[in-house]
Amino acid sequence: MSNVNATVFTIVVVLFLLVTLIGFAASRWRRADNMLQLTEWGLGGRGFGTFISWFLLGGDTYTAYTFIAVPALVYASGSIGFYAVSYTIMAFPIAFMILPRLWSVARVHNYITQADFIRGRYGSRGLSLAMAFTGILALMPYIALQLVGIQAVLTVMGVGTSSTNTYLKDLPLFVAFVVLAIYTYVSGLRAPAAISFVKDTLIYVFVLLAVFYIPTRLGGWSHIFGLAEAHFTSIDPATKKPFGTFIPTAKSIGSTQFDFATLALGSALALFVYPHTITGALASKRRSVVKRNMSLLPAYSILLGLIALFGYMALADPVTAANVKKADNTQLAVPYLFQHMFPSWFTGIAFAGIIIGAMVPAAIMAIGAANLFTRNIFKEYFKPDASPKLETRVSQWVSLVVKFGALLFAVELPHTFSINLQLLGGVWILQIFPMLVGGLYTRWFHRWALLAGWFAGMIYGTIAAYNVSDPTASHWASSTDIVFGHSIYIGISAFIINAVIAIVLTLILKAFKVPEGADETLPHQYTADPPDTPAQAPAGVGAAAD
Amino acid sequence: MTEPFVTGSRSPAKNPIAAHPITSAIIFVLVAGAICCSLIVPIYASTTPKVGDFPFFYFFLLAYMPVAAAALFVAMLLQRRLERGDERNEVE
Repeated sequence: MSNVNATVFTIVVVLFLLVTLIGFAASRWRRADNMLQLTEWGLGGRGFGTFISWFLLGGDTYTAYTFIAVPALVYASGSIGFYAVSYTIMAFPIAFMILPRLWSVARVHNYITQADFIRGRYGSRGLSLAMAFTGILALMPYIALQLVGIQAVLTVMGVGTSSTNTYLKDLPLFVAFVVLAIYTYVSGLRAPAAISFVKDTLIYVFVLLAVFYIPTRLGGWSHIFGLAEAHFTSIDPATKKPFGTFIPTAKSIGSTQFDFATLALGSALALFVYPHTITGALASKRRSVVKRNMSLLPAYSILLGLIALFGYMALADPVTAANVKKADNTQLAVPYLFQHMFPSWFTGIAFAGIIIGAMVPAAIMAIGAANLFTRNIFKEYFKPDASPKLETRVSQWVSLVVKFGALLFAVELPHTFSINLQLLGGVWILQIFPMLVGGLYTRWFHRWALLAGWFAGMIYGTIAAYNVSDPTASHWASSTDIVFGHSIYIGISAFIINAVIAIVLTLILKAFKVPEGADETLPHQYTADPPDTPAQAPAGVGAAAD
Repeated sequence: MTEPFVTGSRSPAKNPIAAHPITSAIIFVLVAGAICCSLIVPIYASTTPKVGDFPFFYFFLLAYMPVAAAALFVAMLLQRRLERGDERNEVE
């Protein structure tokens, strides 16, 4: 640890300790009489108002990996990286149509996870299991990527021992993660909710300052954009193709407008069916809180747009570009940019912001995965008579297991593998969209048709993603495939296959009058706004009225 | 709790879309418009006209965000008015 800047290191450690204290203290925040219920540990007592929900959902959606990876993609490939901006614009109108309905029905029936809702809506254990399985599968690599984000910052800080043993080398990462795992275990969703205040304050401050300050050092926006345009239109000698694109092209193959749009749309559809975002939304106090936040959360998207521009700033700064090239890792673009542009105290704050920015979503993701496992696998298949106390305990332990699983993932496997899995995670999670959103709006779909569609989408998506190659990688080269001569995001093509199968099979199954599951929800429950959750979920009401 | 709330015992609501066709249409246009203007990339995939130092593509993405947020905010207010209106009718 010879080349560590003492100021940077001290600031990061101090802020980390502050956050740890908050994480443990959060267990006493809004304390309920009986804490041993899953709605307390796993949903923070369903009591968060507009203000806290805004921080929680914002902290949840914009992860450390976003701060590192979006500018890294912009740095490496140009305009396609801005799909992230387009997708966050679309995500909120889409969520505006989904989340309030899900919140209402979940509140009436005391559903804790989205798979609880599937179980109640379709009366199908299989479909509910598919939902829980996909959710957990998609979250694991996502948590691992938060660690990759932390590692990027630690690498640039020069922290880490020189030992060849992977575990010793990543000791700081280990320590940070163990601490995170313990306070999540103790405080549940209250911990990330409380910490997200600190995280977002840090991130807002450093992003806004950086976005106004850095261009003045680099010769202004005109110069930054000019360099980016020149770079991405020049030819890469290795591949004989341009380095990237400055504006999405109107052609049919490559970094096209269609590719840009499908990637953005797919990611937008996926964002609010991920278990961690749904966990955050279900923790809201009232239906109006969810709705109001859909128009307030885009403030974070503006931030993301500015963060994406850091990619071009890094490109325009020769020192950063040289450092990134030497390390051969574009993920380091933003950390290097900050290190070069700012005095060390400010770099320390920015780095701490990114590290803490990884911990908030990692905690919520682990809680979301743990809730899915407890409610929809453990209770459903192993211990149907589990008491609320046992459910809470199981969830707490599973959140630990999930985190250590993700840690192994990040440390043991090459990073490219985690990134590929994350791309796949997006493709996978999209496949639960038809059953979830179909269920929120209509009773028309047949449960087996949805299951078949889900299965086909998962298989097609995985194989298609595996088969994508480029000059530098024989498999998993990107999440874009060429279908009928057009570049398209695999998540969307798999989603279309999924939906078509679900529709066709529903028609067939209905024609043969194959029995449908019992629906315990009623139409008006999707717009209900009860201020309190019933202690016991109301008994199944049986046949649907719609 | 002064806010009225809807309980499970309430009879299934009348279809709010049929009751307020114009307001519902405006809500739909606001929400769908917010999505489409970002989804239809050819609208903004060009370097010109430049706004300040920003090529149009980048300017549009950054400037459109607050516009979409405002559209959702208006949609939310309209929806709230619909819901309040329904409850008042029921009390009468």
